[in-house]
Amino acid sequence: MFLSRFRVNTARPGARRLLSSPQAMHAAVMSSFPHILPSDSPQPDAPRVLWRLDQRARAEVLLYVVSPDRPDLTHLVEQAGWPAVAGPENPGWQTRPYAPLLDRLATGDRWAFRLTANPVHTVRRKEGEPRKLTAHLTPVHQMGWLLDEERQKRLGFRVCEKPADRRLLPDGTTHHKQPHPGDRYELAVQDTRSLAFDKSRGSGGRRDKSVIVVTVTFEGRLEVTDPAALRRTLTQGIGRARAYGCGLLTLAPVTQPTHAQP
Amino acid sequence: MSRTGVLVLRLAGPLQSWGASSRFTRRTTESAPTKSGVVGLLAAAAGIERGDDTRLAPLAALRFGVRIDQPGTRIRDFHTAHHGVTGASMPLSERFYLADAVFVAVVEGDHALLTGLHDALRAPVYPPYLGRRSCPPSEPVDLGRYEDATLEDALTSAPWQASAWYRRRHRPPQTLTVLRETTTTESAESADVLRDQPVSFDAAHRRHALRTVVTTAVPTPLPAGDGSPHGTHDPFAALDDLENERA
Repeated sequence: MFLSRFRVNTARPGARRLLSSPQAMHAAVMSSFPHILPSDSPQPDAPRVLWRLDQRARAEVLLYVVSPDRPDLTHLVEQAGWPAVAGPENPGWQTRPYAPLLDRLATGDRWAFRLTANPVHTVRRKEGEPRKLTAHLTPVHQMGWLLDEERQKRLGFRVCEKPADRRLLPDGTTHHKQPHPGDRYELAVQDTRSLAFDKSRGSGGRRDKSVIVVTVTFEGRLEVTDPAALRRTLTQGIGRARAYGCGLLTLAPVTQPTHAQP
Repeated sequence: MSRTGVLVLRLAGPLQSWGASSRFTRRTTESAPTKSGVVGLLAAAAGIERGDDTRLAPLAALRFGVRIDQPGTRIRDFHTAHHGVTGASMPLSERFYLADAVFVAVVEGDHALLTGLHDALRAPVYPPYLGRRSCPPSEPVDLGRYEDATLEDALTSAPWQASAWYRRRHRPPQTLTVLRETTTTESAESADVLRDQPVSFDAAHRRHALRTVVTTAVPTPLPAGDGSPHGTHDPFAALDDLENERA
C-alpha cells in the first residue's frame, strides 16, 4: 500500500475542472494506475484506491491517495500542478510506502484522525414505501453515524472520550430531550458540503439527473480496538461514495494540546 | 509556607466595560480590566455575597495583572432607558464600552485558594460578566491554573489571545502592554495609581482602595491555535515518526 500527496495548483483551469467534479477527479486518480483498466470492477474486500481532498487555505488544496500500487500522477501534474518545477528528484507529488504504519498499528494506540465521509441512513417516510437512502444533514446525526457502536467495532477503532474536566457541555441533553453526544467525544464535524454534479451525459442529448453526495469531514482522536479491522478500514475505506472522495481515513500522531506554560 | 500559583483568565466579548472612577451618570471605562472587576467576577463565581467582606478579603489580596491582547475600540452609548414596568424615563446617562477587546488577566496567590476559584469558574454560582452585567464573555473565561508560576511568567508566556479576524487583519505587534501590580521588592517609582482595589462590594456602601499599577510590555508570544485541529492534520507525519524511530 502507498500513501501519496499531491498539491493542486488552483490557478490552473485544469485544476478547476477536477475540483468542480468528483467524477473527473476520480477518473484522474484512477488513471494513475496502469494496472487498473476502466473496465475493472474492484473486488468487494480487496484494497482499493481511496482519495480525499483537504483544503487548508483558499489556495492550498491537497489530494491524498491511498492505493495498493505506486501511482504515477504525471498527468495530474501536467493538468493541475507545477510541471516546470517538477524534475527527476521531485516529480511533483510525494508517495510513501504505507505498510510500516499499517504493520505498526496495535490495540490501545491513540491517533489523531481525519475522515471525509458520506453519512447516510435509510428511511421509510410512510408505511409500505420502500426504504430510501437519505443523507444525515445535522452534525448531531452525522456524529451519531460515526459514533455508532456497531460501526466503530466493524471499523476497528473507538473515538476517544474527552476527560470529564475538559467538557464544556453536559452530555446527552438537548432541549428537545433527544439523545445527543454533547461534548463527550474528541470529535469535530466540519465542512458539511453537498456535491452536485453530472455523472454523464445521457445519449440523445438528454442529461441524466445530477448526482448529489453530502460529504462531511470528521476530525478527532481514536483508539485502536482491532488492528486488523483498522488496517482493512484504512485500505478499503469507510461508507459510501468512495469513488467521490469519501471514506479515506488518515492517521496522524496525537499532538498534545498546546497549553500556556507559565 | 504554602505554595503559590496563578490562575489565567481570558476576558473576551463583544462589549466590556471596566470602570474605576465612574460617578453619577457618566460611566466610563478604563482601557484594561480593573482588579475590582476581575476579583468581582471570581467572587461571583465562588458565590460570595455582596456584603461578605471577610470572604472577599483573601481574593482582594491576590496579586493582579492584565495583558492587552487586542485593545478594542471605545464606544459611547447615550443611554435613554425607561423603567421596564412603569415606563418612567430613567436618568440620561453616558456609558462607555470597549468593543471587540481581548485581555489576559492573571491572579497570583495561594494555590489552594486558586484551586477553589478555578473550580468555581467551571461551575459558577453567579455567571461571569465583563465589568457590566450586560457584557457576557464570548468564550470560556478559564485559561488554566498553574502551580509555582509567577504573575510575570504567566503574562509573558500565555499565548496571544487575539481573535482570528484580528490576527488575519493585523500583524502581531512587537510587544503587548501589561498592567500589573509591583512585586514586594520592586520600587513603585513610575507607577500609576488606580482606585480599583476592592474593599467591600456591599451594595449599600461599595469601597475601593488605591492600588499602584506599573505599565510594562512583554514580547508578543505565539498565538494559540484556534483550538480545532482543522487544517493541521498531516498523515505523512505518522510515516516520518516511524522513520525517525528506525534511524
